[in-house]
Amino acid sequence: MSKILIVEDDDALRETLEIGLRSNGFDVCQAATGLEAIPVFEKHKPDLILLDLMLPGKNGIEICHEIRQTSGVPIIMLTARTDDTDMIRGLEAGADDYVTKPYKIEVLVSRIKARLRPMKKVQHTIIKLGPVELDTLSHEVLKNGKKVSLTPLEFKLLLTLASHPNEVFSREMLLEQVWEYTYKADTRLVNVHVQRLRSKIEEDQEDPKLVLTVRGWGYKAGPE
Amino acid sequence: MFISRIFKAALGRFRSSLQLRALAYTVALSGSALVLLGGVLSVSIGNGLFSTRTEQAILESNRASYAVSRIFAGVSGSDQKQLNEALEEVVPELESIGVSQSRQVAFLYSTGDNNPLRLNSPKSLTLDEALITAEFRDRVHFSKTVQSQTVQISRAGESIPAILVGQKFTVPGEAKYELYLVYDMHNEQQTLGFVQRTLVLGGLVTLIIIGFFSFLVTSWLVRPVRDAAEVSELIASGDIDRRLPVRGSDVIAVLATSFNHMADSVQEKIIAMGQLSTMQQRFVSDVSHELRTPLTTMKLTADFLYSQKDSFDDLSKRSAEIMRSQVDRFDKLLADLLEISRYDAAGVKPQYEVHDLNGMVGIALEAIQQFADSKQVYLDVEIPSGAVQCEVDIRRIERILNNLLTNAIEHSEGKPVKIRVGQNESAVAVTVTDQGIGMNEAELEQAFERFWRADPSRKRTTGGTGLGLAISIEDAQLHNGMLEVTAAPNLGACFRLTLPKRQDIAMGESPIPLKLGTET
Repeated sequence: MSKILIVEDDDALRETLEIGLRSNGFDVCQAATGLEAIPVFEKHKPDLILLDLMLPGKNGIEICHEIRQTSGVPIIMLTARTDDTDMIRGLEAGADDYVTKPYKIEVLVSRIKARLRPMKKVQHTIIKLGPVELDTLSHEVLKNGKKVSLTPLEFKLLLTLASHPNEVFSREMLLEQVWEYTYKADTRLVNVHVQRLRSKIEEDQEDPKLVLTVRGWGYKAGPE
Repeated sequence: MFISRIFKAALGRFRSSLQLRALAYTVALSGSALVLLGGVLSVSIGNGLFSTRTEQAILESNRASYAVSRIFAGVSGSDQKQLNEALEEVVPELESIGVSQSRQVAFLYSTGDNNPLRLNSPKSLTLDEALITAEFRDRVHFSKTVQSQTVQISRAGESIPAILVGQKFTVPGEAKYELYLVYDMHNEQQTLGFVQRTLVLGGLVTLIIIGFFSFLVTSWLVRPVRDAAEVSELIASGDIDRRLPVRGSDVIAVLATSFNHMADSVQEKIIAMGQLSTMQQRFVSDVSHELRTPLTTMKLTADFLYSQKDSFDDLSKRSAEIMRSQVDRFDKLLADLLEISRYDAAGVKPQYEVHDLNGMVGIALEAIQQFADSKQVYLDVEIPSGAVQCEVDIRRIERILNNLLTNAIEHSEGKPVKIRVGQNESAVAVTVTDQGIGMNEAELEQAFERFWRADPSRKRTTGGTGLGLAISIEDAQLHNGMLEVTAAPNLGACFRLTLPKRQDIAMGESPIPLKLGTET
């Protein structure tokens, strides 16, 4: 049974979310303020975090940053703001996905499941992309022989691109294959995560050699 | 053609330039004054010259009379030969004396005198005897004093004014003579001409100087007005911080001060209203956002109860259904409210891509089909073959189409709804025409207003938010397009959306007419 951490300051919403998630077969732990979030996370080791951005004590973006120092646990932001700056900052801080209030429980559950679904079993190979090596079984990534820690989502993004080098993926295709969105979604998710991925594996983020932008179309994996 | 164009252009310039007009009036008025002054001067100088000349002529005539009497002194009145010799001397003598440079002389024997001697009537060779009319001779004959008259003589083919002076003279032997002298006024004419030319020239120069000075003065006076106009334009175009410079304490400075004062108070008002408006928009936006958290809770709860409804009794089950549908409605209303508040705050950033309008209409029809079936409304679709490409923010256009279709089906009262798509070089359009209850003129005017419903007494079957058309028209205008409507009571309504093919071209005429289904 997967355990979900709900970080939400509104008591009624937090409780309702718990009911909804439990009725969908998830185990739930809770944090009502920003300050509680990290201790609860460390104590319960949840499989996924639902994170409200506007929190008393410590806001969602800071929490995101802190968790990403130590863990690649999937984080889905719950945001009331359709104004984009907060949402983008959350993604940049390491959140994997976001859901805008008000949402339906079905939508939330499908987003959670997409993030928790284990990656398809693949043959054990080492995929090389320039100085970077991907182990498809252990999900370890080495750059010049040194370990690079990627979140599961970042690994999936890199694996998708690197499995088909020089093949162009549109943002919509990546949303479908990496995020498992079946309908139109926000293509900025892709932009932000490509930036994060580049910051971890590229020598020079401003002049990427491994994950390349194909102007007007999408992204592809390096020249090799 | 060309000249009339120049004339029109000049007229236009004249009408549009205050300074040019002021200049023209000043020059015209001072010109008239100068012409009047010149005329009066010219006439009075002319008169002065003439009367001086006349007096001089009369004086000289008296002197001539004296000279003639000296010639006849000692001449016997009965000696015809002597008399005639003396007569021959008169003309050369008189032509040579006096101050006038040229004068003509006639010494005429009076008619009607019955002196027995045969006497001559000598005269200057150049004198035209016709000048001395019988009338004037009579005047001289019956008068004791010197008579004068103005005549025109011709010299070298030129007609010049002259003074004819005549007086009676009695030669020895009691023969009656008349002495006529003609003084030409060539010099006076020349003097007058010179004076007149000087007046005209002086007048012209004065006029030019007046024109130049009035140009300087008017530009000096007009400049602050023009500055004020320029600054007003700048302020009107949004540069609200502009002010006029205030120099000195004259009426212009007063104008500038009042202008600046007005601009200050307008600016204050604008800022105050802007703040109020921003506050109100932020308030609407904040309220909408604040509502989202409890709404999410309600939505989750309602959905949960709905999912459990099969275990409820009938009343609770129905309650769960109603609650879920109403929370959804609230959700839609809040989303629409947020969208409107985003438009009000001018915070809408469209994302344009090229799409096929036929395809968009197809998707919208597919989405609405179930609703149309439930209302038993037939959707009659007429779309052109091939793609109808246009540059749009697809989400917004799909929203407009969905709105128009929902409205049409809802108000069609079971009659067919017609959907047409069309295009021309610059624009694409879609019309949605129903034959339902329609609208009267007053209703038509309000059709795009917020929270307005075509028929308040009708039940709100679809739970529309009342903001649909208000958002749709904003969406259309965002695309530089138009959303229009025509309707008549009980004949139905026709909505037409026209969009430019690309965002960088002008839309022009809509490819489809805006008319009701019953019109042909």
